[in-house]
Amino acid sequence: MSAFTPEQEKVLVAWTKRYPYPNMGLVEALRSVQEWHRCVTPAAAARVAELFELPFSRVWGVATFFPSFTTKPTGRHRVGLCHGLSCSLAGSDKMETCLEETLGTKAFETSADGKLSWEPMECLGACEQGPALLVNDRLQGQATPDKIAKLKELK
Amino acid sequence: MTKILTKHFDEATLHELATYERLGGYQGLKKALAMAPADVTAEVVKSNLRGLGGAGFPTGAKWGTVPPTDKVPGPRYVVVNCDESEPGCFKDRVLVTRAPHQLIEGLLIAAHAVGARQTFIFIRGEYQNQYDVLARAVAEAAAAGHAKHASIDLMRGAGAYISGLDTALLETMEGKKAWPRQPPPFPTVAGLMGQPTVVNNVETLSMLPFILREGGEAFAKIGSAKNGGTVVFSVSGHVEKPGVYEVPMGTKLRDVLALAGGVRGGRKLKCVIPGGTSMPPLMEKDLDLALDFDAIRAAGTFLGAGGMIVLDETADAVEVAHNIERFLAHESCGQCTPCREGSFWNEEILHRMLHGKATAEDAPNLARIGENITGKVICALGDTVGMVTRAYLQRFPEDFKKRVSSNG
Repeated sequence: MSAFTPEQEKVLVAWTKRYPYPNMGLVEALRSVQEWHRCVTPAAAARVAELFELPFSRVWGVATFFPSFTTKPTGRHRVGLCHGLSCSLAGSDKMETCLEETLGTKAFETSADGKLSWEPMECLGACEQGPALLVNDRLQGQATPDKIAKLKELK
Repeated sequence: MTKILTKHFDEATLHELATYERLGGYQGLKKALAMAPADVTAEVVKSNLRGLGGAGFPTGAKWGTVPPTDKVPGPRYVVVNCDESEPGCFKDRVLVTRAPHQLIEGLLIAAHAVGARQTFIFIRGEYQNQYDVLARAVAEAAAAGHAKHASIDLMRGAGAYISGLDTALLETMEGKKAWPRQPPPFPTVAGLMGQPTVVNNVETLSMLPFILREGGEAFAKIGSAKNGGTVVFSVSGHVEKPGVYEVPMGTKLRDVLALAGGVRGGRKLKCVIPGGTSMPPLMEKDLDLALDFDAIRAAGTFLGAGGMIVLDETADAVEVAHNIERFLAHESCGQCTPCREGSFWNEEILHRMLHGKATAEDAPNLARIGENITGKVICALGDTVGMVTRAYLQRFPEDFKKRVSSNG
């Protein structure tokens, strides 16, 4: 049985055709896998390798190199808090404590219902509004206790 | 002060094609397309435009190294480096959000100059909002017939800082681990899939519409010697008004700080990181330094990508160095042993120092580790691992000594 639904397989095949060479779509394809499964498992990577006609070791090497890809599922909403220098000067450590207490999970842990996970991230390119908050790759501006409390209302 | 890229930032709909065109947008491209490609490059050479992604390499000269098709046949590519990840830098995010067409026009000018029929915008995955802005603007530009000579496609990264280095970016685009290549050959000779490829930063390309519209000489005149035009500083840290500030090349550090409202709360300045955390800091004595690539280099550091972080007297050099080395250890790609191991040990030692376990050997060890990395690795990240902590050691030895004596 494939690791993917027929619709997902179509999306992956489309990534093999999007750019001038099939391998150029690999990182984007793995981004799709991460979005669907919240992680990239060896089984998923093996199927991607077949579709891209690449060795498994190549795909698994890429999947385990990039921080956006995880081997265990993140929450359906993946929250990042920047701890780069500017955000650290702006008090990112306090917001990390706030995330831990408000969401009830430690960094890199996923809530029991699978909804939320949070992690410190390297510079998110929003140093003027630190400590910067990111939800599913979208900048949310400065992290505040109010914004963090609202994360629990996400579906 | 003369502004080029942020001149129309008070226009709320600048990101839309109609507004951009009303303000003179795509006139530079129109002019470029009526010129021979070599003449476009000559105009950029005249402008003294330097690569604003960090390296400061003259843009026209870089384009000039793309070999002719009779020497290297096959396609040429232009790739936009929108993988802004250097801590302290956020100007590309702002430029793309507010003025996506300025970048697209610049990209299309570059494509004409180097004979590329296909171009790509490589954007970091965490900039999904900016990806959406660009996707919409690219579609608008194509529908308006601006991109007949070259296609534009987008691609996202996956969270690795090192992907922002040109050769590692190309590896990422080829679906590989982002391991930097050892040049030569440089990407302009053998880049994406082995073909001649120009990789330029967002800010660099965004300057091109002005250069083509107003002429290279007009651009050169705005800046300082050999540093044409303006530079957009991302200012953050201990200042009253963090944000992006565009100033002519050669503007004094003091004046950039004044634009950002000065040091917060009237506190005393400790130092200023001029280009992102990989760059050693400037000191109070440098306040009258006229900021451009060459002057900052002469002062012992780098303009980098203009990520200016201001630190006031409350900042501690050991904490700052630890934050930077932790970042570098996380982002080291692991290819070169000195960088992979050195960044790990630097972080370990600085972490110990922060937690009351500093020893008298720590500072000499940090210096020794640094000396064994810089110049012995493939890429600039590794050079930085060795350089940054040594810079803080040299400038703030008392902060490191304090850690040893406070252990009791």
